[in-house]
Amino acid sequence: MTSRVALRWVASAAVLAAAVAFPFWASRAEPYYLQIAINVVIFAVLALSWDLLARTGQLSLAHAAFYGLGAYTSALLTLRSGLPVPAGILLGGLLAVVVAGGLGILTLRLRGIYFAIATLAFSETLRVTTNQLRFTGAATGLVVPPLLGGGRVAQYLVILGILLLVIAISAFVNRSRWRYAVTAVRANDEVAATMGVNVVQVKVAAFMVSAFFAGITGAYYGHVFLFISPIEVYSLAVSVGALVAPIFGGLYTTAGPVIGAAVLRVGEEILRTTIRSGYLIIYGLILAVVILYMPRGLAGVWDALWRRRA
Amino acid sequence: MSLLRLQKLTKTFGGLVAVADLELAVEEGEILAMIGPNGAGKSTTFNLISGLLAPDEGTIVFDGRDVTGLPPNVRAHLGIGRTFQVMQPFHDMTVRENVMVGELFGHSVPKTLRAAQRDAEEICRLVGLEHLMGRDVLGLGVADLKRLEIARALATHPRLLLLDEVMAGLTPTEAQQAIAVIRAIRDRGVTVLLIDHVMSSVRDLAERVAVLNFGRKIAEGTFEQVARDPAVIEAYLGVEGGTAH
Amino acid sequence: MVIFGVLRSGLYSLAAVGLALSVGVIGIVNFAHGEFLMLGAFLGYWLFASYGVDPLLAIPAGAVGIFALGAAAYRSAIRRVLRAPELNQMLLTFGLSIFFQNLAIILWSGDPRVATVSYKAAAVSVGPLVVGLPQLVVFVLAMTLTLALYAVLGRTRIGKAMRAVAQNRLGASLVGIEVDRVYLLAFGVSTALAGMAGLMITLQLSVSPFMGLLYTLKAFAIIVIAGLGNINGVIYASLVLGLSEAFVEFYVPGGGGWAEGVFFLLILLVLILRPRGLFR
Repeated sequence: MTSRVALRWVASAAVLAAAVAFPFWASRAEPYYLQIAINVVIFAVLALSWDLLARTGQLSLAHAAFYGLGAYTSALLTLRSGLPVPAGILLGGLLAVVVAGGLGILTLRLRGIYFAIATLAFSETLRVTTNQLRFTGAATGLVVPPLLGGGRVAQYLVILGILLLVIAISAFVNRSRWRYAVTAVRANDEVAATMGVNVVQVKVAAFMVSAFFAGITGAYYGHVFLFISPIEVYSLAVSVGALVAPIFGGLYTTAGPVIGAAVLRVGEEILRTTIRSGYLIIYGLILAVVILYMPRGLAGVWDALWRRRA
Repeated sequence: MSLLRLQKLTKTFGGLVAVADLELAVEEGEILAMIGPNGAGKSTTFNLISGLLAPDEGTIVFDGRDVTGLPPNVRAHLGIGRTFQVMQPFHDMTVRENVMVGELFGHSVPKTLRAAQRDAEEICRLVGLEHLMGRDVLGLGVADLKRLEIARALATHPRLLLLDEVMAGLTPTEAQQAIAVIRAIRDRGVTVLLIDHVMSSVRDLAERVAVLNFGRKIAEGTFEQVARDPAVIEAYLGVEGGTAH
Repeated sequence: MVIFGVLRSGLYSLAAVGLALSVGVIGIVNFAHGEFLMLGAFLGYWLFASYGVDPLLAIPAGAVGIFALGAAAYRSAIRRVLRAPELNQMLLTFGLSIFFQNLAIILWSGDPRVATVSYKAAAVSVGPLVVGLPQLVVFVLAMTLTLALYAVLGRTRIGKAMRAVAQNRLGASLVGIEVDRVYLLAFGVSTALAGMAGLMITLQLSVSPFMGLLYTLKAFAIIVIAGLGNINGVIYASLVLGLSEAFVEFYVPGGGGWAEGVFFLLILLVLILRPRGLFR
């Protein structure tokens, strides 16, 4: 085992241990930090699930759509049908999966920017519709029942568990034959098809898995912060964040989106105290700077440092 | 029974007829060349055979089986492989990994990563890419990219290999190497259908030649027969017998 | 209702034709297109609120200013990603869009502003119908500018250079056209057109930092309907959008809110059913 791989295992174990122990400390010492931590992990799940789809070359601006779908499905089911919250969250994710399956098939032939715009159009249509309908509470939003009685420590562990699940899936994809499939599809899906890759299956499956995690995370968000509205959960900021974090941290890797999300969200929290609104400007700047000067993100910088060491 | 049979194959784009009522048979174990002036419909035919395009009319029968409606990946499993004229290797991957995609997904029975790697390396050796296996595809020269194209197509262990303008841009020495590789591939039991404009290579390599013009087959036979055919000469606007490029 | 839609489509043409120019000539879909429109609108508002300058009079100055901004953006950032994968281009302009939008929020807060010019409510009779004077003026102006662009593209040397580059970049450079200079001009003109459209909007509607994305998407809907790269089809495509929106506003109950979704639906429908556009 090379020293680099060993380092990665040790670091991962340490981080995992810290992450699990964290809520118990924070709930007694600094409860505000626990809230931020929950936000960070939510963001990490969104970022990594977006990256999973991006690996097939589909750059989605609809992540907010599935986030919102999950949030509203779960909120409405638990509010109006008395369904228990965990079931609501799961169903929110499942609805997102079904919708993603449909949208994925519809957009199969769209490449690059067309795909992005089509997904953006879809997401914004959902926002506008939800904003109009009385059934979904229109612009005033919905008050949502709490998860696990509102206990922050337990809630944190739930989202951490979800993150670990996405991480496992991401690592599996990157280490198995599926890495070859998604990379080939991303590079040139027609050629990949003539080499035997079932492109339709790969693309739609990626869309559905990605949407599932966006959906359950959206549902989770509602049950933790107890209120959702169209402008919040269907917000472009969700989709933007989900794509800037992986680009910043390193696309198509497992650690990149997670670390990128953590750095950006913590930074955002710090900025929020100085710039009240419009702190999203940093995301715009980061995106531009990374594209121009660091195309492989933090992961690229990390790689370069290792190579210089050798 | 022919390995591949195209019957009444027709494809139009808007008002343009690319392939019209094409009839062609490829026998198992032969090397057949499709030639014809630019725009004759050769690339479109390849896209139809490999499944990237659906014909407006007609059928494609492979190994006795009607594959006309099947998607490209299923045709790959059945044994149709192809290279592409505009070379687009999979970026973010090494040469070896590019070939492994075919090994991993080109067969009905999935292979393990280790077996796929081993078989991919063997194919790299066959086409002469052994020394470049671990290299990222970025920056490869034209000849090596062509080898990679062929290697990728071979990775699915095809019974019919479609070669799309492999000779273009090669030096005479490289062309000779390519001819040797293609013959070696055929000797392993692969039938070859190729498109090319480099007549000297076509003459050396092809056992039979079919000439297309305006989407139809206008002549078929050995290279010499076809070269003397008045319809062929007329199609090429009076170019005698095929000049070497 | 038809008049309403037609008048509005004039403005839409102007807003979209710049994007069509950038896509057709340079090959880049500028996600930040609407932000240049928004900045033009804010410029108009500022000039009006501080100096009482009618936004329409500010158009020449605004055009120059936004052109300069666009040219600067091209020089410093856009130019670098032209050879990069499309993903990078999209993300860069997307980043610029987020940057400008939030810059506006920081500088001017998220609240919408309205510039009330003296003749805002004035109306004019056109045949049997009464139309708002500002709307009519804007329509005439916007259509004039759009047609002027077509004339420039068709008749002038620089216009022909742009069309040459649009068709064949390599060929154009081989005959001596300085492609980079053409790109710079095209991009600057594209943003200037957006800025001018923004100034015209100041006249009629409220101005807010969030309007940029809305118009980027509307412009995109129009160029998709026209067919990407098809600059000539923009007028017809704008009519499609303008009339569809008017239709929804008038005939769908609670129409105002739903009309916002019309262009989304059009984008989805066209991209999925006829990706080449309707007016090729």
